[in-house]
Amino acid sequence: MARLVSTALVRGIARSCRASSTAAAMAQPTFQQFMAYSSQVDDSNANMASSTTRVTADPDTHQDFQPTSKGSDSSLHDIVAQDIKENPVLIYMKGYPDAPRCGFSALAVKVLQQYGVSISARDILSNMKLKESVKAHTNWPTFPQIFIKGEFVGGSDIILNMHQKGELKDLLGDVAQKGE
Amino acid sequence: MGVTKEDVESAIAAALSPSHLVVTDTSGGCGASYEIEVVSEKFEGKRLLERHRLVNTALAPHMAEIHAVSIKKALTPAQAQPQPEPAADKPQA
Repeated sequence: MARLVSTALVRGIARSCRASSTAAAMAQPTFQQFMAYSSQVDDSNANMASSTTRVTADPDTHQDFQPTSKGSDSSLHDIVAQDIKENPVLIYMKGYPDAPRCGFSALAVKVLQQYGVSISARDILSNMKLKESVKAHTNWPTFPQIFIKGEFVGGSDIILNMHQKGELKDLLGDVAQKGE
Repeated sequence: MGVTKEDVESAIAAALSPSHLVVTDTSGGCGASYEIEVVSEKFEGKRLLERHRLVNTALAPHMAEIHAVSIKKALTPAQAQPQPEPAADKPQA
């Protein structure tokens, strides 16, 4: 726990460091060493240009000190994690359940709607960064992506297949009972 | 331009050495949408999600140019034997 907190603190610091790098270095000499370290990592990061994967170029760099240069993305990542945790039936899709913008997304929604469960949906077409975060989270290339009770179930092919085999009924059983 | 049916077939064949493989171009010719049926021993003991992951991984180099892949069947040789199924509905991209 304590370690978690300190990790979070360090992350917070790392972020603020990047935000106001030189000014902070002057004002707070204690952080200077860390700052130098952090800016060094930033350089190697820059060299990797538009790489979307986590920066691992510097083997000496502990991941806590990697200012991944995508503060907003990592917070989106948190949102994805939170979404998954808080919504028993969650679909990341193209468009909205009432107005899907892709046949596969429409199919997945249709299947889920058979079970009378409340479905949480997010449109990934309206937020490219969210789209990339979800893809990175699941390591799954396509949409829709369906999560049930915090677990990634798959895309439309899988959800349809599970529906046909009766597996989805079992999986959604207690979610449906709880109503919500 | 784009990815051909043959590209998809050879990528899957190389990765999964399937005993049965049907790739159908459902894009109407532009090569951006495929339906796939695979039967492979490599699916043995794996959940559907993991099976799809294997196919996705095999296609990863091509995915940037493919808009939609629908994996209709991902079966083990044993599963492929008994049940002849009617063609499933086709969702479009």
